[in-house]
Amino acid sequence: MKSPVDPVELARIQQWMQSVIMHPDGVEAGIESPGTRIFIDVAPDEVEGLICRSAAQSSIERLHVYANAYYARLLEVLESEFPALVHALGEELFQEFAFGYLQQSPSQSYTLSDLSAKFPEYLARTRPPNESDEPDWADFLIDLATLEGTYGEVFDGPGVEAQQLLQAGDLDEIPIARWPSVRLAPVPCLKLMTLKFAVHDYATAVRRQENPSLSEPSPTWLIVTRRDYVVRRVAVDETEFAALAALVSGGTIADSLEAAQNLWFGDFDQLARDVQRWFRDWSAAGYFQRIADSDEARSTI
Amino acid sequence: MPSARLGLPHLGLGVGLRSVHFPYLLQQRPAVDWFEVISENFMDSRGRPRYVLDQLAERYPIVMHGVSLSIGSTDRLNLDYLRKLKALADQVRAVWVSDHVCWTGVAGLNAHDLLPIPLNEATLRHLVERIRVVQDVLQRPLVLENPSSYVTFASSTMTEWEFLTRMAEETDCGLLLDVNNVYVSSVNHDFDPAEYIRSVPHERVVQFHLAGHTDRGTHLIDTHDNHVIDPVWELYRLAHQLTGGAATLLEWDARIPEFPVVHAEVLKSRQYMSKELPEFPVSQRERSWIATDEPATVPQPAAYVAAEVE
Repeated sequence: MKSPVDPVELARIQQWMQSVIMHPDGVEAGIESPGTRIFIDVAPDEVEGLICRSAAQSSIERLHVYANAYYARLLEVLESEFPALVHALGEELFQEFAFGYLQQSPSQSYTLSDLSAKFPEYLARTRPPNESDEPDWADFLIDLATLEGTYGEVFDGPGVEAQQLLQAGDLDEIPIARWPSVRLAPVPCLKLMTLKFAVHDYATAVRRQENPSLSEPSPTWLIVTRRDYVVRRVAVDETEFAALAALVSGGTIADSLEAAQNLWFGDFDQLARDVQRWFRDWSAAGYFQRIADSDEARSTI
Repeated sequence: MPSARLGLPHLGLGVGLRSVHFPYLLQQRPAVDWFEVISENFMDSRGRPRYVLDQLAERYPIVMHGVSLSIGSTDRLNLDYLRKLKALADQVRAVWVSDHVCWTGVAGLNAHDLLPIPLNEATLRHLVERIRVVQDVLQRPLVLENPSSYVTFASSTMTEWEFLTRMAEETDCGLLLDVNNVYVSSVNHDFDPAEYIRSVPHERVVQFHLAGHTDRGTHLIDTHDNHVIDPVWELYRLAHQLTGGAATLLEWDARIPEFPVVHAEVLKSRQYMSKELPEFPVSQRERSWIATDEPATVPQPAAYVAAEVE
């Protein structure tokens, strides 16, 4: 075998080794695969010409250390990010899904924080067809993965811990005539989620080391945010969610009221009281930074 | 001849910062000489990990230790990564920045492992060129660690200590001598670890690493999941004598015990130093474990901080 004499040769060795240790069917299959042989065409029984054996291990056995570690390490990371999904699926099935994901989406980032970014999307893309009109167990798992991914994103993403946030009193100072056209700037850690199942209760139960069962479908409108560096979540009804979503997506307070009104079938005095309470609750929960500039808008849905 | 430790300070006995210890560290503010942080866990963080680091940086010297520089890769250096690394180093006033003599991926992928390179003239030239670029971007000397390894290449033409010596001399970089890694690799590759320790350029050793590992019978795995074993301590004693001492850090990354146990482990290193430092009585709290006794199987690094949810 020709020894490497320049970085081009080093590149071939690295691509060969990477292809071998990342191969889903193991080291021997990796060495023999056409995708590996284009870099260095060597048979498993000739590998000692490339990788030395030790006193105690063959070349192939030594490569196994890296190959075993590659998937084990990344599966460990995914398990730590999706504890509730692991509980729902069981460790073996979770690893099967995660293994498939890692083959389709190997890490291209310097940070493991990006590893799971496309995992919920992968589960949605590879889910079995649902023959019924009702959400099924696959929807539950996709909701759960989406929620746990969002928790990770909110936990380490931008927040407003050291900043002054909008207070209920700030709203009182707005002249009544200006209210309909006012927009509010949401905090960057605020995420609004529409889910088919109350997976947040399931995820919380798992984190409390309880043993929850998969729940029945239950349309869920969830607000996820962060305060004092800890992720918080609260489920609200559809009307409150619609009102908040209108504001968060850049709408005015008039847009927010209209969104709520469209879903309201009861007493309008009650709606007015609810709206007042919502704005107080949203301010207390720190969902908004300030009264926005007129052209300031963003979407977190 | 460069000055000892390249003129960088002897920080004393430090501990690797791990998220399970965040609450303890913020509440107890233990008397630790310094902390080493995994750079990639904090470079993009805008949440609790970064908050904790900023708090600790106010009180303790911080050293940044990376796992994704991939200095040995044949992919282009990631300049965006380097800029973020420098920004964090400036913000937390990192005393130095280190990574490993390895590659972590190629063709745009990252295996998140510290993969070995063939040790020959061509790869030496390749690394030297890239280390110079990194030092230019970081505007400080890079400190590079010998990783544990599990394969060697038929195309290697020099020992690891010869490679490190020439690499350090040609680039003026520092060395992070991981004594446990020397031991692990010596068993895996059938060389004399003491010869390795005697042969590296001692004046360039800026820092030591200590850790536990797992014995798999035919080979050792650098799992960072246990106490430092006696042969590693003896190598540390030799390294300390030959270098005159350098900042020493304990890594514990799996089955992590309570902070006092981790701290006590690094303080044991006083027993292996020359006599100007007092011996440290080994803590009785060492048996206080958080995790199970099942040994870890995954070689380090495995750097990830899980979310805290109310």
